[in-house]
Amino acid sequence: MIEVVDLEVSYGRSRKPVLRNVNAVFDRKSLVLGPNGSGKTTLFRALCGLTSIRRGRILIDGLDVERIYAKTGLIMVNFPEVLSLLPVKIHDLISLYADLTGGDKAFAYRVLADLGVGEEILRSRRLHELSAGQLKAVCTAIALSAHAKHVLLDEPFEQLDPARKSRLIRYLADYDGIIILNTHETWLVRSLEDWRAFFMFEGVLYGPVLVKELLEARFSLREEANPIMRMMISGRAVSLVKDGGRMPLLSLESLDRVYELALEGERGDEILHAQP
Amino acid sequence: MTRYFTLSLKTALTRPELIFWAIIFVEFWVLMWAYVFGVYIPAHEEAVKDYVSTAYGGLTILSLSATATTIAYALIHSSKSIKFVTKYTRLSPSRFMVENAVSSITVLLIVSAIMFASMIIVFWHRFGLLVLPHNPPGLFAATLLSAVFLYAFSSFLSLLIVVLRAPRSASFIAFVPLMLGFLAYASPWIDFRIIAYISPFNCISSLFYHYYSGKQPVTGGIFMPGDKELMDTMLTASSLTTWTITLLILDIILLRRMRGVGIEEIRIV
Repeated sequence: MIEVVDLEVSYGRSRKPVLRNVNAVFDRKSLVLGPNGSGKTTLFRALCGLTSIRRGRILIDGLDVERIYAKTGLIMVNFPEVLSLLPVKIHDLISLYADLTGGDKAFAYRVLADLGVGEEILRSRRLHELSAGQLKAVCTAIALSAHAKHVLLDEPFEQLDPARKSRLIRYLADYDGIIILNTHETWLVRSLEDWRAFFMFEGVLYGPVLVKELLEARFSLREEANPIMRMMISGRAVSLVKDGGRMPLLSLESLDRVYELALEGERGDEILHAQP
Repeated sequence: MTRYFTLSLKTALTRPELIFWAIIFVEFWVLMWAYVFGVYIPAHEEAVKDYVSTAYGGLTILSLSATATTIAYALIHSSKSIKFVTKYTRLSPSRFMVENAVSSITVLLIVSAIMFASMIIVFWHRFGLLVLPHNPPGLFAATLLSAVFLYAFSSFLSLLIVVLRAPRSASFIAFVPLMLGFLAYASPWIDFRIIAYISPFNCISSLFYHYYSGKQPVTGGIFMPGDKELMDTMLTASSLTTWTITLLILDIILLRRMRGVGIEEIRIV
């Protein structure tokens, strides 16, 4: 379980926080949905202890993240910078992290084969020599193969074609542990119904809700009675509701669209409510 | 040892920057010392031995300083990863220091062995004399101490940049070992006096000269006219040892405090 208590994070000497008043408990497989730039990756960095915390604390299985050292199997993440310990070929990199984490090399190779990254690439290239999609696949495969109790996956489906996305979803569904996955794409909601979901907008985390509640959910750019969730986006109250003639969540392919609609203000409201 | 040790060693030895700056570049200066600067050296044993010892002291510190620069660079670029693995894998901060130190020191020793062999061969070809060290075990001990110091120093610089969150200084700071190495390289022409004891780089070149020639080193200016102050070898070795221990302790402290910097934050000058 990962507990986040009253978390505030800002970068450098900037007074403006990137994450503010974040409170959450991640004790089961969870999605963190939010547009690009909302703070999802910063949240994951904070959960690993890779970024300074201005206020609050993070506990992983009761341990303060600032005081964790050499705890194998506790957490793993698919950030390329975390997997860049040495500039070696991917084949050696998989072997290295399997040795350090007690992970399963064969599992990593299996995942990569399913995601279309062949042996030839693994033996001949380094991380910085991969395409964006290959890089994401390799980092995700190494993260999953560590079989850590908590796995943080930052946009693991980016650059993957639909067939490979569905293969990756199978691995995530079968994973024995807590996965926290962040994405701006909404199609995942259909495939991970028994997960929980959080929303992240402008550094604030909302939720959780059950993913299955989001299947019929709709966005409304006004305060609604009995919403599934109420959020503030660009100074506007935005609600997620079950009933009513609003924009279905799943019809917004990316949550970036919510920012556009909120910024359009009244015009966006008209567009939203004009939709059948 | 984990797999990190073997891969770290392999990566360091095959790094093009190291091969060029620590070996090929310094090899150029070996040839210069032998065939250009050495034309005025009289061809008798005492003079040649003294000259070769001076060359060894100056050129080896250059080679090792260049190696230290590549070590510093590697640490800065992998700082975020180091932070993560020391928290969530069996590579604890102290274990990482040990393995990183042993692999880096091994690289430093290998580089110094290559330069040692090449200098013997080149100077033998130039002067027709096989000039071997007066005190080989002492020279090895001095080389080992120097390697440990240079590792501790380059690690300290890298970790300091990361902890102070000054990644834009990385390109400049990583070259500090090489800059200080060049300063020590100037000691045949400049008398550094008390600084010869304070500067660990000068201590290294002095110890190399001492164990190679069998003579007491001077504080500097051996090629210049005038009286020279002899250096106390024990004091020189003590100064270098103190520097090394202090820096190693600081390295452990900084390693625990750092969070790493992203590669995109490092400005390449």
